[in-house]
This record gives sequence, structure tokens and C-alpha cells, in this order.
Amino acid sequence: MEKKLGIYSLVASIVTSIVIVLIFYFLAAGKVSINPEMYKPIDMYAGMVYVFVLSMIVSASIWPGIIEKKLKG
Amino acid sequence: MDDVIIKIKGMMCGHCEKTVTEAAKSVKGVTKASADHKKGEAKVSFDSSVTTLETIKKAIKDADYEVIDDDEACPVPGKTAIIEPSAKVADKIIEKIVDKDGEIKKTPIKITGMTCASCAQNIEKALNKIDGVVKASVNFSFEKAAVEYDSSKVTTEELENTITSLGYGVAKNEVTLKVGLMHCASCALNIETALKKTTGIKSVNVSFPLERAKIAYDPEFISVQDIIKVIENVGYSASLKLEKSDADREQRARDEEIKRQRTNLVIALVLAIPISLGDMGRNLGWAFVPDFLKNDYLLFILATIVMLFPGRQFFEGTYKGLKHGMTDMNLLIATGTGAAYLVSVAATFLDLGEAYKHTYYDTAALLIMFIVLGRYLEAMTKGKTSEAIRKLMGLAAKTARIMVNGEEKEIPVEDVKINDIVVVRPGEKIPVDGKVVNGLTAVDESMLTGESMPVEKTVGAEVIGATMNKTGMIKFTATKVGSDTALAQIIKLVEDAQTQKAPIQKLADIVAGHFILAVHVLALLTFFFWFFIGFEKFNVPSTFGMGMASPFLFSLLISITVLIISCPCAVGLATPIAIMVGTGKGAENGILIKGGEVLEKAQKLDTIVFDKTGTLTKGEPALTDVIAVKGSENEVLKLAAIAEKGSEHPLGEAILKGAKARGIDVPDAESFKAIPGRGVEVKYGGKRVLIGTRKLMSENGMDVTSLIGKLEELEQNGKTAMFVAENNEIAGIIAVADTLKENSREAVANLHKMGFSVAMITGDNKRTAEAIAKQVGIDRVLSEVLPEDKASEIKKLQAEGRKVAMVGDGINDAPALTQSDVGIAIGSGTDVAIESAQIVLIKNDVRDVAKAIRLSKLTLRKIKQNLFWAFFYNSVGIPIAMGILYPFTNPPYLINPALAAAAMAASSVTVTMNTLLMKRIKLQE
Repeated sequence: MEKKLGIYSLVASIVTSIVIVLIFYFLAAGKVSINPEMYKPIDMYAGMVYVFVLSMIVSASIWPGIIEKKLKG
Repeated sequence: MDDVIIKIKGMMCGHCEKTVTEAAKSVKGVTKASADHKKGEAKVSFDSSVTTLETIKKAIKDADYEVIDDDEACPVPGKTAIIEPSAKVADKIIEKIVDKDGEIKKTPIKITGMTCASCAQNIEKALNKIDGVVKASVNFSFEKAAVEYDSSKVTTEELENTITSLGYGVAKNEVTLKVGLMHCASCALNIETALKKTTGIKSVNVSFPLERAKIAYDPEFISVQDIIKVIENVGYSASLKLEKSDADREQRARDEEIKRQRTNLVIALVLAIPISLGDMGRNLGWAFVPDFLKNDYLLFILATIVMLFPGRQFFEGTYKGLKHGMTDMNLLIATGTGAAYLVSVAATFLDLGEAYKHTYYDTAALLIMFIVLGRYLEAMTKGKTSEAIRKLMGLAAKTARIMVNGEEKEIPVEDVKINDIVVVRPGEKIPVDGKVVNGLTAVDESMLTGESMPVEKTVGAEVIGATMNKTGMIKFTATKVGSDTALAQIIKLVEDAQTQKAPIQKLADIVAGHFILAVHVLALLTFFFWFFIGFEKFNVPSTFGMGMASPFLFSLLISITVLIISCPCAVGLATPIAIMVGTGKGAENGILIKGGEVLEKAQKLDTIVFDKTGTLTKGEPALTDVIAVKGSENEVLKLAAIAEKGSEHPLGEAILKGAKARGIDVPDAESFKAIPGRGVEVKYGGKRVLIGTRKLMSENGMDVTSLIGKLEELEQNGKTAMFVAENNEIAGIIAVADTLKENSREAVANLHKMGFSVAMITGDNKRTAEAIAKQVGIDRVLSEVLPEDKASEIKKLQAEGRKVAMVGDGINDAPALTQSDVGIAIGSGTDVAIESAQIVLIKNDVRDVAKAIRLSKLTLRKIKQNLFWAFFYNSVGIPIAMGILYPFTNPPYLINPALAAAAMAASSVTVTMNTLLMKRIKLQE
């Protein structure tokens, strides 16, 4: 159960983070195309990395609890 | 042959025991009888074919003692039918979970305080009544309950609470572990979470400031070693806390931590200065900064050293936590400093465009410097908060001098055994608890009781280990050694109190538990806002200046500031640190408070109920009046003393002491006869001397009508008055009374001043009780209360809506102490009373009741101040860090990440310092 919980949580966290990063990417890509003077691709890529790190921290804190409840119940 | 225990009221001394034993033995068929006045019972073996229990009881009643009726008398536990079936159940208690799917579980509960088989039946009935309990069996002789229950409906805590609410105790297997590597209150919560998830753990309290974990566990499911492994697995260290030289080891560990953080601080400070000058000098164009300092590669090398040495602890902590799915303060710092460092490294080694020419090595270095400064200050102040307990631990003597074969021998204090004769010279510490067998001295007990005056000790007096022998050499028999000494018990009590949480902490725990997650969510949202909306909307490149051209870097800096400024530590520290200092201060003043819950309950008190005997009064009768009808007062007193010389009754002892105090020589009587319930008759010098009640005098043909007025006057003043007669002629009246303690009146007056309603509870008749109450200034008297009814009297007061504190000292006060909202035991009292109370006053001084309440109020006030500050700091600091003031200020205001780090470090230090101010406040008015 512990192992399952770990794997499910990791997968869920990665998927959630990728979803958030993708949202960031699409929004940032829009900004880069609309206002290329202010928004550079480097801002977008660097932002994606930072958003992924923060999203992983947040989702890795939330998912284990939810999955544990589901597995138990 | 039948064995019974007969409960008896009215026995006061060895003499009463003898009378009851003889009364029982006088019944034909009784083979064995022994009475115990302390327990209030007599054990009787009798042949039921010859006599009956009723006949024995009648004989005892005829001897003028009250017998408690059948249903209250307990059969002696032995080969009775009640025990055997339960024994079988006890064998089964090793069964663990019997039905996992149905969540039907079995748990053994160790029970204390049962005195007879009917106690076991009471507990069994109460447990079986609980919704969710399938079956409960209580075994009296094994002192265990085996409960089969539905875990979805009832918890083991509820089962235990039911048992304790009946007035019994639940013995838990408890262990206190020393926990290391905790950096903030979240670490403590992480350990609690991990342990609570572990099977076999009943309750857990982890104290971050104390670095202790107190765990109640079921040894059938988990061992102490397994518990240690669980803690180690989540990234912390744990070891069994050993009593011996604990103070030294703790001090060493604390010194090491201070040294470690000081080294880190020096490195961070030495490197942060050139890094900041170089980085800011280049970014802001400071000409006074030498060019070599502005070099990116040099800044990279210096910042990397900061990250690798002083900063490593945050990354290591984060890694260990994340490995086990735990987040703590380290993660916030690691994310913030790591992001600033990595962006700078990328800007140094990669060509990312014009906007990325700036590096943020200064931010990373300053963040680490300020946070390390905070940790250093915290390590210093944390040591001060636990000073009280360290002082107590440090009080213990290292060696003792004992008599071996008539010679003195110095041995380590741990090797002293009970009954060893210990020799202590003037100026030396008394090593263990004991009873003086030789010598006279004055002992300074201030270190334990707070009492500044040395206490005189002579043969028979009790001495306490760790106190200082001042004037003379004494020899004493060791009565308590090792962990049984008063000092060891006090330390345990204070430690237990410090690891317990106050209900107010629940809110702080909930906040601290979700704090780090919430801050990361806020940091992410802040980043999104400033990246997509704020940067463009508020035209940051032109309004902010400093060459800020990248929306990513700007949003990142604000997001880092949010991570750095938030301080779960202040929230987590607010309550435990105040409890620690408060209970420590209490211990220094001879007031032991058993945990945080008491502090909160003490705020709501409005009524203080004092037990009379031994609490407000000295508990020993003393001679108060001698009225001579024939001859002089001294002649009357001499007659009374001669008569009472052979008596073991406390009233007799008081008369004898009174006579000796007046220098009267008291010769032995020729014959002595106790007349139960009436008095004493002796022959002396050919004369017949009687001392006793008016009934005794009337029965002997004496007319006392003319003296009844005086007798009643004395009785109205709460005194016990007796006639003294010589050769059937009244010689005078003698009165004795339990006298008030010196400070009782002042104690009651203080409580009145504080606005409390003060009551007195006693078994005395109304007239006597009111007389005493009048002397002491008490406004409400609960008189003629039988010992077993004291608790119900407290209940009645509570039913009036009052919040009641009961102050008592005796075994018979224990139920009332438990029933009251706050039980306060006077330290000279019995172990049972001390066990039942939530506050223990070590000094035999009732004025400490007011002090204890004042200390409770002070501590709770500090908790509230700390919590307010912690919540205020975070709820103001975080929005400012998020840039809420940016649109409304000109020039736009943003907190610098380094300033945020300094504020964060200051916030937890502020909480600690504010709490330490408590130490300066005096508990006197």
C-alpha cells in the first residue's frame, strides 16, 4: 500500500505540474507573441521551470493525502 | 472460612485500630482481624458456620465506630468467582486486530486505582454502555481491561476517558525521546504526523523548543526501537532520554548547536558583505566598489561557498523531508535561495539577453546570512527558555557519603540504596531523600520550594535530596533514591507539563500544519499575477527602475520574497515556548503546573474551595484553652496530661504536648483505661482521674450543668472541649483545636482581592466549621461533608455554573480534586492527592494558590500575545511581500528579499524574547 501510494502520488503530482506548466506555457506564449518587446522566450522557459518546481512542491503536498483516502476507502 | 474487608469510618489512630480489631476478635468464630485506620477498613476472617458478618459489624458498631453498609464492603480479592473468568479474558488480550474488514478491534487497557472487584465491575459496566463497544471485560487482579470495539464508532482515547471519568487511572506505556535535527514547529508536526500513522502509537506530543517527544504506545504492537526508527525515517534523530547527567548532555548539545550556527553565521557574514557590495555595486553603478568585486565569476565562487556551507543545512533538511513527503521551514528557504542562486548562475554562464545581465548572488547570500543569524539567536534564546529544568537537573548531588561498617565512604549518588545511612556535613548538598536519624541542622530548601528561610531538621524530620545542609552535621536513612526522589519527580512532572499541548495550540497547529503548503500556493499565484498581469499593467520597467526588464526575474523576486518572509516558526513556537517558560517559572517558585490545559482552565475559575484539615489548618490538634474549676490551670492540665499519657489519640497527644510546653512534669499513671467514644480513665496517686465528654461525667454521677455554657462556647469556636475530673469532682475544662496555618488568612484575603468566591469544605459539624471559616475569612462553608461526598459537593457548585478549583492534601480529597475544574494539591499532601491534582504547590503554603493562578494567567496572556504577533506578522508581511502596496505607493514599494529574511528571522526571535520577559515578572502582588 505504501509503495502504491508513493507511485500514485508521484504520477499525480507530475501530471498536475505538467498541466500547470502547460497552462503557463500557453499564456506566456500568448504574451510573447503579443508583446515581444516586454516578454522574451527566455522569460517563458525560465518561468516554466520555476512554475514546475513550485507546482511539484504544492501537488506533492496535496496528492498523498487524497490518494491515501481513496485507497482506504 | 470467609474473608471480608469491612469499611469503617471514624478510626483516627493506632488506638482506634486496636479497639476495632479487639471488637471484631471478641466475636466467637472470628479467627483473624486487623484494622487499618489509614485505609479505613478492617480485614476479618471468620467461620460462617459460627457467626455472621452482621454480628461482626454490630460488634464494631458497639465499639462506637461507624460501619459502611454491605454493598460498599468489598470481598477480599482471592479465589472468588469474579476473578477466574476475567483471567481467561486477560490471556486473550494479546489478540490484536480480529476483524480488519469490520474494523472491530481489541485493545488491552492497563487500569490503576481499583481497590476491589466491584471497581472492576463498575468499569466493565461503564465500558459496555459505550456505543461501539462490542464487549469489555475487566480483570481486577491483572488490573487490565480487554475491550472489543468498533473503531469507526469509538476510539481508544474515549475508552480511556470513560475509565478516568470514573475516578480510576489508565496506565500507559510511555516513553520520552530526545529528538534532534528539528528546525521549526513544522518539523515537530511532521514527526507527530508520521508517528500517529504508525500502528500501536496511542498519543504523541513533540515539543520543538524542548526537543522532546512524549509517546504513549502499545508495546504489543510497537517497540521503542521501532518508534525511534519511524522518527529517523522521516529525517530526524531520536534517542532514549537518559536521566543520568542529562543536564550536562543537553547543555553540550545546545552549545554545539550554538557553535555550529555561529560558524555558519561568521562564514555567511564575511562572504555576504563582498558579494552584496559587488553585486549591488555593479547593478547600481557604485563607483567606490573595486572592479574585481563586480566580477561575475568571483561572485559566483563566493556565493557558492555560502550555499555549500552555511546554506547546506536548508537543502539537506529539504531533501530529507521531501524523501518522506514532509515539508518544513527548510523548503521555503531552499526554494527561495535556490531560485535566486540558479537564476544568477544561468545569467553568469549563459547568454540570456540584455534583461538577464543582472545577477542575484547578493539576494541568495543575504537571505542565508539573515536566516542563519535567526537560527543562531534562536539557539541562544531556546537555551534560556529551558533554563528552569536544566537548573533543576543541575541541582542533583554527584556523590554521597554513606556509612559502611562504621566508616564513612564516598560513593556516586546513583549507588545510594534505600536504608543506607547517609552522612552530610554543613555546607554539603543532601544527596537523596531520607529521614534524619542523628543530628540537628538547618536546611536551605529554597532551590526546590522557593522558601527562603532555612528549615530546622532534627531526628525524625524528612530531608529532600538536592537541598543544602547549612549548620550542623546530620545522619539520615535514605528513603527515596534515583528516579523516586522528590527532585526526580519534580523534573518528570515539569517535563511532562512542558511536552503537553494547551487547547489553544490546536489552532496554531492547524495553521502551522498547512502553512508551508499555503505559502507555496501564494508564491505560485503571486508569480502568475506579476508575470501575466502586474508587470505589464503597472509598467514595471519604467516604474520600478534598477534596470528591471524581465517579467520572469521581477515575478521571481516577489515570489521568493513571499517564500522567505512567511514564518511558520513564530506560529508554532508561540504556545509551547510560553508553556515552557511558565511551567519553568512555576517550578522555580515551588508551583508545579501539569500542562497547558490547566493554564486555560485556571483563567475561567471563579470559586476556590479549600479542604479544611491539613490545608487551611495544620491538621494537628493543639491545646488552646485550660479552664480551672478546682485548683490552678496547670494542675488541671497536669491531671489531663497524666490521663492522656498512655493514649495514642491525637487529642491526647495535643494535651501532652501542651503540658510539656508549659514545663509541667507529667508522671505515668498507675492504670489506664480507654472508654471508646467517651474518654479515658486513669488511676494516679490513689486518685481516679477522668477526662472526656459530658456523657462520661454524667454516667459517673457528676453534675456538669453549670459548666455546659463554657463548654458550648468553646465548641462554638471550633474547639474540642473535654471535662477533667478528679475523684468524681470536676476539676476543669480542657480544649484542643486544629489551629489555622499562619498564612491561611492572608491566602483567603488575597483570593478575595482577586475576585474569587472562597469556600471551605469539611466533615466537621456546622458550628465548628463556621467558627473556623469566620477566623479565616471564608464566606461559604460546606460542612458535615463525608469524605466520599466531597466530589459531589464540588459537582453541585459546578451545577450552579461556577468554575471551581479545589485545594486539598489528603487521599480523601482526591475525587474532589479530580472532579474540580482545577485540582490544586498542597505539596505536603499524599501522593494520591498530588497525582489527582493538576497544580501541585511544593511549599506547604496556601498563599501559593493565588500565585499559581496569577502564573497561569500570565502564561496564557503571553501565549495570546505570541499568537497575535505571529498571526499579525504573517498576515501583514505576506501581502506586503506579494506586492500589494506596489500600485498604491510612489515610488512603488516592494520588500527586498534580504529585508524579508531579516524580518522572518526577527519574528521568531521576537516571540521568544517576548516570552522570556515573563521571567522578570514577580508572582507576588
